[in-house]
Amino acid sequence: MMTQVLEKATETKTMTLLQALTDAMDVMLAKDPKVVMYGEDVGRLGGVYRVTTGLQGKHGEHRVFDCPLTEAGIIGTAVGAAAVGMRPVVELQFGGFMMQGFDQIFSHVSRFRYRSRGRWSTPLVIRFPFGGGKSLLEQHADSPETYLMHTPGIKVAIPSNPYDAKGMLIAAIEDNDPVVFFESIYLYREPSARMDVPTGYYTVPLGQARVAREGSDVTLVTIGTMVHTCLAAAEQAAKAGIQCEVIDLRTVVPLDMETVVASVAKTGRVVVVHEANLTLGPGAEIAALIQEKCFYELEAPVLRVASFDTMPSPFNSLNHYSRPEAHHVAEAIKNVLSA
Amino acid sequence: MANTRRTTKKGAATQTNEAMFAGSMPVASDLTPFQILAPDGKPVREDLIPDLDLVEDMYRGMSRLRHLDDKFMSLFKSQRLGNYAQFGGQEASQFGSAMALNRQTDYIAPMYRNTAAMITHGWSIQNAIMYWRGHPEGWRLPDTANILPVIISIPGQVLHAAGAALGLKAQGTGGVVMTYVGEGGTSQGDVHAAINFASARKDPCVFIIENNGWAISVPRQVQSGVDYLVRRSVGYDIPGYLVDGNDILAVNTVSKKAVQDARDGKGPSLIEHMTYRIRPHTTGDDPKAYRDENAEPEFWRKERDPIARVKKFLTLEKRWNDDREVAMVAEIETEFQAALEAADQVASPRPEALLEYVWQNDVWQIKEQREILKRRVAQMEGA
Repeated sequence: MMTQVLEKATETKTMTLLQALTDAMDVMLAKDPKVVMYGEDVGRLGGVYRVTTGLQGKHGEHRVFDCPLTEAGIIGTAVGAAAVGMRPVVELQFGGFMMQGFDQIFSHVSRFRYRSRGRWSTPLVIRFPFGGGKSLLEQHADSPETYLMHTPGIKVAIPSNPYDAKGMLIAAIEDNDPVVFFESIYLYREPSARMDVPTGYYTVPLGQARVAREGSDVTLVTIGTMVHTCLAAAEQAAKAGIQCEVIDLRTVVPLDMETVVASVAKTGRVVVVHEANLTLGPGAEIAALIQEKCFYELEAPVLRVASFDTMPSPFNSLNHYSRPEAHHVAEAIKNVLSA
Repeated sequence: MANTRRTTKKGAATQTNEAMFAGSMPVASDLTPFQILAPDGKPVREDLIPDLDLVEDMYRGMSRLRHLDDKFMSLFKSQRLGNYAQFGGQEASQFGSAMALNRQTDYIAPMYRNTAAMITHGWSIQNAIMYWRGHPEGWRLPDTANILPVIISIPGQVLHAAGAALGLKAQGTGGVVMTYVGEGGTSQGDVHAAINFASARKDPCVFIIENNGWAISVPRQVQSGVDYLVRRSVGYDIPGYLVDGNDILAVNTVSKKAVQDARDGKGPSLIEHMTYRIRPHTTGDDPKAYRDENAEPEFWRKERDPIARVKKFLTLEKRWNDDREVAMVAEIETEFQAALEAADQVASPRPEALLEYVWQNDVWQIKEQREILKRRVAQMEGA
């Protein structure tokens, strides 16, 4: 479902999610001289995952540069730079490192507009790789979106495919509010997730969910890498005659409940699926909202499939028991139908 | 433990320092704070005395700020102001440094005790009254004043300053950013992150440590084992200046130098002002619980007052007399009363202000909460 207006984007190219993100930043560096990109490794190396590869060479060291290793410093300076008119797009090496700069996000990135009654704003983007599915070290697989959902004043984007990733990143850079942008480590180079992406400028608005698969029996509400997990589960369920509707939220802030409510009105049964751990994860808020807004449409309790309440496990050979997989979602689909 | 750096040059200068800066200087040191005027108003550096018109401006400026601080305290006592963080005693430190900036091109990244620096950089007294009253209109500073939001959770402002310096340099504005942190705030890691960041990039930023001896109840000695915090400038390979923060001529001379260096592309400087918090931490604090108000603070009030020092100098120079003093005080009082009356005439805050400016465009949750607010307001009005 790609209904967005494409401007000067007649040509397309097959891209991975990673390539689409690089392309988005290339487009914006060319379009807006106020855009600067920095972080640790983003300059010469092109980032630990090479998302900024080639951008320093093409746009110059004054536009794309390395800086001291300090998440608080990267985020805190981006606040000041954005306040005086820049559009900083800063990279953290991993979502698990966000907490080292979280005071700046919680206390300042999110509050400059409110604190100054609109005199100052912080139009910046904080990008980082997140999530599991690859065998990585501790703090390299976190999904910390919950902390951001509880912090008013910022937007939180978690794209699930290359087309959305590029259009949402461009929208994020142009947004006058700060955006924290989650990039799926699992999907970065995943060949099966490659798709044709317009080569020029286009945007995908932040705050509009996407119906990734239509169905009438069960609604799967999800985001990011888990969209693919849910699509796989839906495919399996279809073989048994169960039609699942998969909603890719795209952003958890703003949260598009209209799309969710419309789907629940149709199915009456919901499973929320996310990588963040269960307790007070995004599913807690979404389930609470569904019972407030769709109580009389519900045929069963809202179920959640999420990681266990541990830290994202570094025990790689065991992690598939915790991080949601298609068969965990399949079990929840069965349960929500039999309730 | 022997520290060779400190034990090499103990002597007369050290004795003088300990007497001069009792309280805010924890240990003996071979460093001597830079000074142009001695506490008795006599120049120690005749060669650095500026034009006397400028000195008179400094005296008038600091007197105006002290009057404001006094008035704010009395407004708090009569419940016409909220909790307020006094800067009394630090007028030279804040006025002398902020007046080195160009209001059009330069920025201040302030913390809560910087009312004096902010007024100097274009904040209006009326707006300041409303800020400290917790009135929404006071939280929007005048668009003409290049002052970033006041930071309560120290030391976020120091990183904002480094970032604003990055941004001004990228835009080639020639602007400079000045930021302030107390000696207590320097214990936070973000201060290191900020100075290191600006130093590595040679961005136009001036970092000022206002060492006023106290972080609420915690004395300077507890914050660090180093004699002077400005020693840290060596680790960033940037200029570091130790200044008698109650000598406005010294403060202003050093600030001008640091600002000019930043503007010329020479990068940041670190300045430590040796000053003293003669007043409580805030209007909610009672210093009698942790220090003898008749001892050290009284010494600073009586013997080290930054305003009295300049007055003594101007009097010695025959530039000041009682008639001028009376006329100045009347002018200051008239200005303050006009600002207070204007602030008093501003309508009470609209409840809607609670839910404004969270995001640029309201998310649906804000819209729903606005409906709840409307009902609550209607209930209150009906009650």
